[in-house]
Amino acid sequence: MKDLALLAVDTAKARGATYADVRVVETKLENIGTKNGKVGSYETQDDVGFGVRVVAGGSWGFASSDDLSRKSVETTAGMAVETALASSKLKEKEILLAPVDAHVARWSTPYKIDPFTVPLEEKLSLLFKVDETLRKVKGLAIAECSMGFAREKQLFASTEGSLIEQELLDSGAGMVAIAVGEGDVQRRSFPSSEGHFASGGYEIVKRLNLLENAERTAEEAVALLSADECPPGKKDVILDGGQLCLQIHESIGHPSELDRVLGTEANYAGTSYLKLQEYGKLQLGSEFVTIVADSTLPGGLATVGFDDEGVPAQKWNLVQDGLFVGYLTSREVADVCGDTSSRGCMRADGWNRIPLVRMTNIGLAPGTWTLEDLIADTEDGIFMLTNRSWSIDQMRYNFQFSTEIAWEIKNGKKGRMLKNPNYQGISTQFWKSCDAVCSEPHWIPWGIINCGKGQPGQIAKMSHGAAPARFRQVNVGVTK
Amino acid sequence: MERARAESTLKKALSFSKADEMEAFIGGGSYSLTRFANNIIHQNVNEQRYQLSVRSVFGKKTGRAVTNKFGDSDIESVVRTSETVARAQPEISELLPVPEPQLYTNVEAFDAETASFSPEARADAVTKAVALCKKNGLEAAGYFSSGFGSLGAYGEVAPLAVANSRGLFAYHCGTDASFSITTIGGDSSGWSEASSWRVSDIDVPKLASAAVEKAKLSSKPKPLEPGKYTVILEPAAVAELLADMAWVGFGALQVQEGRSFMSGKIGERVFGPEMDIYDDVYHDLLRGRPFDCEGMPVRRVPIAEKGILRGPVHDRATAAKEGGHSTGHGLPVPNTLGPQSASVVVEVANGVPFEDLVKGTEKGILVTRFWYVNVVDPMKVILTGMTRDGTFLVENGKVRSGIRNFRFNESVVELLNKIEVMSVPVRSGRCVVPAMVAREFNFSSGTEF
Repeated sequence: MKDLALLAVDTAKARGATYADVRVVETKLENIGTKNGKVGSYETQDDVGFGVRVVAGGSWGFASSDDLSRKSVETTAGMAVETALASSKLKEKEILLAPVDAHVARWSTPYKIDPFTVPLEEKLSLLFKVDETLRKVKGLAIAECSMGFAREKQLFASTEGSLIEQELLDSGAGMVAIAVGEGDVQRRSFPSSEGHFASGGYEIVKRLNLLENAERTAEEAVALLSADECPPGKKDVILDGGQLCLQIHESIGHPSELDRVLGTEANYAGTSYLKLQEYGKLQLGSEFVTIVADSTLPGGLATVGFDDEGVPAQKWNLVQDGLFVGYLTSREVADVCGDTSSRGCMRADGWNRIPLVRMTNIGLAPGTWTLEDLIADTEDGIFMLTNRSWSIDQMRYNFQFSTEIAWEIKNGKKGRMLKNPNYQGISTQFWKSCDAVCSEPHWIPWGIINCGKGQPGQIAKMSHGAAPARFRQVNVGVTK
Repeated sequence: MERARAESTLKKALSFSKADEMEAFIGGGSYSLTRFANNIIHQNVNEQRYQLSVRSVFGKKTGRAVTNKFGDSDIESVVRTSETVARAQPEISELLPVPEPQLYTNVEAFDAETASFSPEARADAVTKAVALCKKNGLEAAGYFSSGFGSLGAYGEVAPLAVANSRGLFAYHCGTDASFSITTIGGDSSGWSEASSWRVSDIDVPKLASAAVEKAKLSSKPKPLEPGKYTVILEPAAVAELLADMAWVGFGALQVQEGRSFMSGKIGERVFGPEMDIYDDVYHDLLRGRPFDCEGMPVRRVPIAEKGILRGPVHDRATAAKEGGHSTGHGLPVPNTLGPQSASVVVEVANGVPFEDLVKGTEKGILVTRFWYVNVVDPMKVILTGMTRDGTFLVENGKVRSGIRNFRFNESVVELLNKIEVMSVPVRSGRCVVPAMVAREFNFSSGTEF
């Protein structure tokens, strides 16, 4: 593999590239789904290929192939150069990359149990036990359980002398209970709407306590059918970490991607309210809001040794005590915000996609409250849990989220269950209304496994650490 | 991958089988995309790849394995893996045997020029579009893509060829090209997009010009109070809504499980009498694959005629439950989603030119497209999302000004009961839909731009 990788960068250089890198990526996936006592889906997948990225004529080019022969490597590297030269017909300045040291290194995700060595029978046995427990609850219509595992072996080489081998592993599982009534469908999931995924091995699945939480999950789904609707109005809202995960993702994570700030996603994912003139000046949230980006977070889905440009993993703040102080950057855009080096946020979805600036693990720093004290301190509020639906404008101001379930809070006490809860707001106003964040014991790095960006589209995974937090006077129940 | 190679590869895979039954498909192709923003090309990519997906069956047990390696030993290995996985599975009592050979409608959808469209040709077209934007003081962002085969927008791999141990073989390789442009001014933006199986159908200067006009017209956008307005939804906006409606409601499993707006209402009138909705992969503007993941031929399915629900799309499993026939909308077996509708077509008997929709509107909001549409309530098909890239106030039959963008919360079922007039349908994404004028569309809040 190393020989082929070096052949790719050498060929690109010989054909006129001023910079080239290659990623050889080998992935192994296993996805299992059960539904109402049967295997609903099962797939195991092996995939290998390479992608060559070059700068030639001052512009980018990229080509990829699943044919690892020498001839294919040479042809693909040549095509990348040819494509870059076509790009250079429409450029305003030469591509310049922030410096990075040449690294010759190996890095692997720490794990205890290799999920690909755990017998399929054992995995199915756990899922069927959970399925059976869910379906024992009277009134439940559909029980769906799932597990997924992904291993990615990467070899990165560049014309600048880096040669980096990485082996990334992530694992996860979850369940969904669906109740169907007259003109009504309600769902509860555990641990979150997409299950729970983290970097690591099968030990992650074992820690989830799926079986212990199945009965309650199903009971809540059924109870939602007869619950009252979330009333409309302005309420103090407490969001659980699972919902805050997506709130952070959509209203702070994506807007912090410097490439979209600079307009390169304008046709698809959009731009950002975190414009360059706001950098270091915008009070994005209250003093209780500190947002940390961390590619080194143990268990994080975006935790790596190096990004897909060979830049080492880092930890830094995007928001400090409510002030916007950091971007997610690459070698190409780092200097735009005054940085001398990249924050290491470039990641690609497999060998056939070019790296983009992607969110790493981004979390809301824990505060000081216990959840019990926070509820007791809330006079007229709604406690919303587990994301069900999400939408945000292309500059990331106006958002609307629905959650699976909520509880009314009256005079410091958790009261009736509410169905179809949702809330709507403007990102900066919302984060400024945060007046309490729960403490470290409540803080969980919630995983996102389906973050889309780019044309052609790419999927990335990352974690968002969060503990429950309170937001004052939020618009809720806003469907009509 | 040409037909002969696909067939020989699948035959080779079948020859390695030791299972009771086997089914396999090859998917993939070639995809190239030139992406531009800030008036320069900033990304230019090519990929060519294929996958072999093998499903083995022992009695009522089945398992699937996938590889992108095509050497003889790799093919044998993936067959063995699928067999090992199948043996380890519990039985699925209702698992059907693989289907017998089928007859297919030939769909002519391969265009040699599109298949070999070069990066230089894409760059030339983009350069002309960008020049128009620069001339008008705007910045352009977008992409021009071309390719052949069955690679999806996110790299997902659909079948190009399907074969099974009963002798079924199906093959379809089409081409596809898309151009999309966003034009950006100081406080406004415009957008247009087109897709076709033939790159020569895509009129880049016309699309660029339309997007430029929208950006110019929507400058200095005025804030307007949210509320219920008459709307003129352009085809891209209609397609967003109907594609989501199809996703949550047009599949037979969703209907059988009581999770679709169609559940218990087949044969009832749920839309206005002017609504004729079909799933039609054969529509001249779509020309999609004429078989599904099991190799079953796709039928043109009436979803609603004259506003009356006719039925959902089926795969073999959902059809068997009702004693009916598959409509050829199956995903790889087994799956938890059930059959999916992916080619929504709205037929309009007396569609008017789009300009007449504006001329006939006394007061309304013209919506170019929606963004980040998501489902709030699947049974009522209440969706939420934002307007984007050209939202206008129309008064007395004329576009008066750009307005700031709105968030909507609206039931698509209710919307399709409030249609006043529709234009001639055009292709938008994988839908063929008209622009629509509808009453009392619910905009629930505004935003900052």
